[in-house]
Amino acid sequence: MRFAKRIGVASAILTLSLGTQAMAEVSCGMNTGQAATGAPILVGGIYGNAAPGDWSSSTDSAAAYFACVNANGGINGRPVDYRVENDQWNPEAAAQAAARLVNDTPTVAMVGNGSFIEMAVNANTYEAAGIMVMASACAISECFETPNIVSTNQGPLSSNLGAAQYAVEELGTRHVACIGLNIPNNGIWSCQAVQDFMRARGGEATAVLINPGAPDVNSALLEAMASGADTILINQPAGIALAILSAAEEQDLRDQFNWIAPTPLYDQSVPAAVGAYWWGHIYVNAELAPLEVNGPDAQNWIAVLDQYGRADDPRDSFGQAGYLSARFFTEAMLAMDPAQLDDRAAVGAAIRGITGYTSDLMCGPYYVGDADFHMPNHAGYMVKVVEGGFEIVRECYEYDSPYFEPHIALETQLGLR
Amino acid sequence: MRQLFHVTPSGWAGLGTAAFGILILPSLSNSYWLSVFTSMGCFLLAIAGVAFMYARLGMVSLTQVGLMGVGGWIALRLNHAFDFPFEVNLALAATATMIFGWILALPALRMRGLYLALVTLMAAGGLEIIFATFQFPNGGAGFWGVQTGSGAAFRRPWIAQSAQAYLRYVIACALLGFLCIELHRRLQPGRAWALIRRSEAAAMAAGVNVTLYKTWAFGIAGLLGGAAGALLAGSLGLLDDGTFRASESVMIFALAVVGGAHSWQGALVAAALYKVLPAVLNIWGVDANLSFVIFGAGLLHAVITAPQGIAGQLLDGLRRLSPKREARDA
Repeated sequence: MRFAKRIGVASAILTLSLGTQAMAEVSCGMNTGQAATGAPILVGGIYGNAAPGDWSSSTDSAAAYFACVNANGGINGRPVDYRVENDQWNPEAAAQAAARLVNDTPTVAMVGNGSFIEMAVNANTYEAAGIMVMASACAISECFETPNIVSTNQGPLSSNLGAAQYAVEELGTRHVACIGLNIPNNGIWSCQAVQDFMRARGGEATAVLINPGAPDVNSALLEAMASGADTILINQPAGIALAILSAAEEQDLRDQFNWIAPTPLYDQSVPAAVGAYWWGHIYVNAELAPLEVNGPDAQNWIAVLDQYGRADDPRDSFGQAGYLSARFFTEAMLAMDPAQLDDRAAVGAAIRGITGYTSDLMCGPYYVGDADFHMPNHAGYMVKVVEGGFEIVRECYEYDSPYFEPHIALETQLGLR
Repeated sequence: MRQLFHVTPSGWAGLGTAAFGILILPSLSNSYWLSVFTSMGCFLLAIAGVAFMYARLGMVSLTQVGLMGVGGWIALRLNHAFDFPFEVNLALAATATMIFGWILALPALRMRGLYLALVTLMAAGGLEIIFATFQFPNGGAGFWGVQTGSGAAFRRPWIAQSAQAYLRYVIACALLGFLCIELHRRLQPGRAWALIRRSEAAAMAAGVNVTLYKTWAFGIAGLLGGAAGALLAGSLGLLDDGTFRASESVMIFALAVVGGAHSWQGALVAAALYKVLPAVLNIWGVDANLSFVIFGAGLLHAVITAPQGIAGQLLDGLRRLSPKREARDA
């Protein structure tokens, strides 16, 4: 009887919780509840989906948010026509995607871009076309060191630094082996930053590079072990990172090293994918607030995905970043003169004018500013992979590196510090 | 001499196609198609090289895209190291790749048929590993010229700064490549290649230096591949090792057979299949990987029913439609 009562209470709680979730209010744009019917505003986005990684979760979340905006009054009654292209991790395809979206289509901005390739190929195109790119899953240096691209995610350099800083301060790390992709503006660039950071902290770091076309994870692991490192930083997309962890498990290497990773491993599918062997042993830097924080904006992102996205859209950091870029873009557009919404230059100026936008998904304010570099997000969380999810082991903290000096100076100039 | 500069009907058609490509096509194309046609023009040059070797000598080279990578690597390295104009970088990259092709050919030419194909495929695999390991120059110091982080700018030809002008430039270079092949065909190397293709023993008995002329052919393929790689670098401003995988060399050889290795039209069909078909599928919202299925079906079709390729079939069809032919048949 008592058991039946407990079942009844549990069922009631479950029903209430499901009901609450099903009815979760979403907040998008003007929140009118009326579908936008005016002339569409054209917005583009480029993602990369081919071996060795799918980088589309940012454009997926941005698309869901824009669908929600369109169902709630759009931007002053005008829907966003969001068009995305896949660069297939191929420079020619990336150039063609930008040609189509930027030069052949009167898009006013690019939002949610996520790629390893396209920003390097298209940074000059964006500058020449005078279009601003509010990217979300940037993995290469051009994303953060060119005037027309700004991202809500941090990229591997910052996220690596965050993970390495935590390892030094909390795990006693002295020597990091950074397993990165052999791409000059990705793996080499971001592992170099870890080497500089470790030297500054009196330790050392070794870069171990993998060919992204044919990743040999066993060789990389052996090279990392031979370096004498006490900590292994898996600076890889989730797919290759899981392969490295699997190879390490086969060799039972878990307890010989500290295992740290940047944000690509912050994905809700990862704890189950790595299995019980790794629970409690992998520390991941989260560029945006983990789901466990569950602030209003985080709940809104999930509700938007549930109602306007696909069931299989990833609930990961890049999805959060795509949602944020779309949300900040919408806010900037709503603050503009409605007569100028089709003017690329005016929209670009509005985006550059963004300063002090906030979200519980980000540790600090989001801003753009008129600079040749942009990295508004350079503080994050550390989480640990545990059974069924992640456990926060360090709340918001700012990363300590000379790389961020110009960014901090810009933030001071904008009155954000 | 008159024979040397005699323009055949096919030659006039080729010149007319090039004139259309240079004068009209860029004006008709939007930015997307300019980008697609520029890529197609670069690969057209590379396919012309591999098709020429197969058609003239029956040699199967599966290194052509690797040679493109060599040309692109040299062009990028020269661009970042010196202030040479693009044309100088292009010429040096093509010449150096030609020499690379010669060096590659000398040991490879001891093989024939399948074994030659396998050796060239292994060379392509080796180049793929080198590109993946050392990457393409991006303005750094040292021999490899790779710097951490963002790459330096690449200089395009001063007469071809815009996308339209660059497409014209690429088509003009492709035309020069075809003229180079045709010139060789009409001179002594062409006669030597024809004899070698018929019988190496007979060619040797006739006093033809078989090794020299085979190596020469490899060099021309290298020259065209190197120029194609340099032009591709100019188009994108950077290169990525993923573009130059050994599998792409196999792909463009297969497409050269599908298109028809014996005519310039065949190379054009092959380049269009390789670059335009995926772009069309992309516009239709269909996964561009479907093009691989179509390539496979095309290869089966060519092997079973069209030894001269799609271009051969089209040309046969046109001949049947011509009134002169009909009258003669009657």
